[in-house]
Amino acid sequence: MLRIAAVLIGLIFATAAGAAPLERDPTLRGLCGNAAASGEAADRLLSATPTLSPDDLAFADAAIGGLLSKKLVCPAAPTDPVALKADTGAVDLATGAPLAALPKGKAPVVSLKNRAKFERLAAALALLAAPNAAARAAALEVLAKSAADVPADLFAAAAGREPDPALAARISSVADLASLYGTDIDKRVAAVARLAEGENRRVLTEIEALRADPAYASEPAFAAAVDAAAAKVSGAIAIGNAAATLYNGLSFASILFMASIGLAIIFGLMGVINLAQGEFIMIGAYVTYVVQEGLRALLPGLLDWYLVIAIPFAFLVTALIGIALEASLIRHLYRRPLMSLLATWAVSLFLINLVRVGFGTQNLQMETPFYITGGIAIVGDFIMTWNRLFAIGFAALTLAGTWFLIRRSGIGLDIRAVTQNRDMAGCIGIPTRRVDMLAFGFGSGLAGLAGLALSPIYNVNPQMGTNFIIDSFMVVVLGGVGSIAGTVIAALGIGQINVLIEPIWGAVAAKVIVLALIIAFLQWRPEGFFTVAGRRK
Amino acid sequence: MIRSLLGSSGGTGFSLTLAALAVTAALLVATLAGVGPSGFLVNIIGQLAAFALLALALDLIWGYLGILSLGHGLFFAIGGYVMAMHLLMHSFETTGTVPDFMQFMGWKEFPAYWAGLGVFPYALAVALVLAGVVALVTGWVSFRSRVGGVYFAIITQALVYAAMLLMFRNDTGFGGNNGMTGFSVIFGLRMGTETASAVLALASVVVLALGLVATRALVSGRLGRLMLATRDDEVRLRSLGYDTIVLKTGVWVVSALLAAIAGMLYVPQVGIVNPRILSPELSLEIAVWVAIGGRGHLVGAVIGAVLVNALKFWLSFAAPDVWPFILSALIVLVVLVFPNGLLDLSRGFGALKARMRREGVASLDPRRAGP
Repeated sequence: MLRIAAVLIGLIFATAAGAAPLERDPTLRGLCGNAAASGEAADRLLSATPTLSPDDLAFADAAIGGLLSKKLVCPAAPTDPVALKADTGAVDLATGAPLAALPKGKAPVVSLKNRAKFERLAAALALLAAPNAAARAAALEVLAKSAADVPADLFAAAAGREPDPALAARISSVADLASLYGTDIDKRVAAVARLAEGENRRVLTEIEALRADPAYASEPAFAAAVDAAAAKVSGAIAIGNAAATLYNGLSFASILFMASIGLAIIFGLMGVINLAQGEFIMIGAYVTYVVQEGLRALLPGLLDWYLVIAIPFAFLVTALIGIALEASLIRHLYRRPLMSLLATWAVSLFLINLVRVGFGTQNLQMETPFYITGGIAIVGDFIMTWNRLFAIGFAALTLAGTWFLIRRSGIGLDIRAVTQNRDMAGCIGIPTRRVDMLAFGFGSGLAGLAGLALSPIYNVNPQMGTNFIIDSFMVVVLGGVGSIAGTVIAALGIGQINVLIEPIWGAVAAKVIVLALIIAFLQWRPEGFFTVAGRRK
Repeated sequence: MIRSLLGSSGGTGFSLTLAALAVTAALLVATLAGVGPSGFLVNIIGQLAAFALLALALDLIWGYLGILSLGHGLFFAIGGYVMAMHLLMHSFETTGTVPDFMQFMGWKEFPAYWAGLGVFPYALAVALVLAGVVALVTGWVSFRSRVGGVYFAIITQALVYAAMLLMFRNDTGFGGNNGMTGFSVIFGLRMGTETASAVLALASVVVLALGLVATRALVSGRLGRLMLATRDDEVRLRSLGYDTIVLKTGVWVVSALLAAIAGMLYVPQVGIVNPRILSPELSLEIAVWVAIGGRGHLVGAVIGAVLVNALKFWLSFAAPDVWPFILSALIVLVVLVFPNGLLDLSRGFGALKARMRREGVASLDPRRAGP
């Protein structure tokens, strides 16, 4: 009687959900049976889960949940219904109807062997039917541990109805892993191919591990699939690594370029090495910080855009400091370049200690706005990170601006004229003194912009500029004094050589080798790559 | 007083400086006898003498040849490190003290290149040969390709910087970032005792005096005139048939040797050597001592080193935060107002104004030296 009712209800739901009905009572009786019977019932239920209707899922969930929490009551008399203890009274589990009294009986004991099966089953049911995503994710992790014992279509069904795309993707990857280690060779081959779409080092490790699989020796199709997948993934990884090296080199080069271009212009024009150039970089970063804090206090809505808003401030503040320095100190030293080294070092010492007194020695907390957070995976393990792309793009813009100013504007024409022949430029009426001052200000402002570009990726502290001067000077020497193109090429070259050597012999060796290369290069071409025709001795 | 000390013909100033050194030496001998200045003061005197020798080395090349090195700390450090290795070996041989850095690295025995450094004459030879070879190579390579002026200054700075990075590595066998310390015995004397301090200070003062006499002999003869001529117009000297490259390289090597000796005297007196000795800042400071004392005057370099460092020692105790500001102010003052350092002070302000009008004294201004 009950059984007929169950079948009828099942039929109704089957027509509604288009799924095979579950024979509830036999299932429950099976669960109540001995260890073998209950294990068999669990297996049947598990293989049926992907096609169960929502109502049957709820029933199965209640049954397995009750079994594991010992609320399931198996009646002593086979005619009594299997009941579930509720908060008040009991219900007939098969029909869901409330019972007047709890039938005589006891909760079945889950044998040690079956416990894993039931837990897997509970997880499978939760994955399909649990209302919140966290519970489904937890269930998935339980299933992932023994994915080979879970029917493959369970994952397909779960992925199909999963509303959270991240979780759905995770389900698919677990499913792939399950079919990868399954028994069906065609499915395994397909799974290997799907796995190879991942193209990163973790995937390669997984694929390499398959070579130890017995099927690799016995099934040629599988072996071929594994080999092809390994070749594909390792090829992609190699391309990705090369791209990552290039990218890192490019971002290092753009920082070198930003730090050096101002120095190149100043040195080309006046023959003065500004040892405080690194400190202008540091001041640019501090101005950026001040702008950030100002926005935080006054316009919190614009805080994310502080890197853009700070551009004019970082440029102007450092440019003004540079102009003041030129007017008060450097102009007396054009004929004594060695003394200008000492003088500008004194300025750098002064600026470092001034900032140290004003802000302290600790690293400043810079915000990381959304547009420089994260990155985009390109190929293999290579992720194009936005913060480095920001530095590269910023350097490219600076290059464009500098090129325009030097090659296309009136003041640029003056700067080039004075660089080539100061006396002659003076004779034809170019105000060489003012050109010097403006160029010094411009070069300093560019250093300030370098500080801005560095602030989200470097430690911002009073000492941050100290070591830039040596690298920058190397770029200037290598590129040829006063040449924009030379500075770009030298920065790119030094940047790439550095990132190529670093992984092999370490950062220190990279610095030493680059230095040795530059000294050797100077033996060959003392004027650098590009020489601006000029009156240089 | 200062004027006579620094007088450019050098007669009285030089004699007075030597006399002052003799008096200092006598005081140190008195300490050895138990009646002179205290151990602390003696130690300061010794360090000042080592610094003065270092400044002398730089003045030889900068003041007389117009070649500014911002990497003299490299040679100073070569001397210092070899001396530290000698002291550790010597201490190990006499007392069995295992150096700290070997314990850090878990090494049971000294690396092979330490062999024999316990013998002082050998250590001295190693330091001099090493400094000489490094100077020969860097100098020859640079001067041959006409690298000079600002280029040379920055390249030497890059060299000392690269050396500092190398020495910061712990696996080189030179103590890494902790450096080497814990010297317990020198020439059989226990380190840290008043006698040892006085002997070291006395040695420093005597070596400084010898260095002063030797460099003066070097620059006052025909060689000295060649050096000044190279500084003032190298092209003309070359067209007259002089090989300036050999001259410059030779003086560069002598300067490096003096700096290495200064390092060997300095390290036992401070009791430690670490990569900080190679920091570009120290090398720049040496140039500041010379600039303040007066380039192109051996006595000026000595006085500059002693004055600046005495001020530094005093302020490091009295007001450590103020020292960098004072140092930068001093440099700016020297650069703008007294281009020849204390020498200008000694010549009075009338002469100064006249020279400001002419923008530098031809015989002292290395303006032709750089690009």
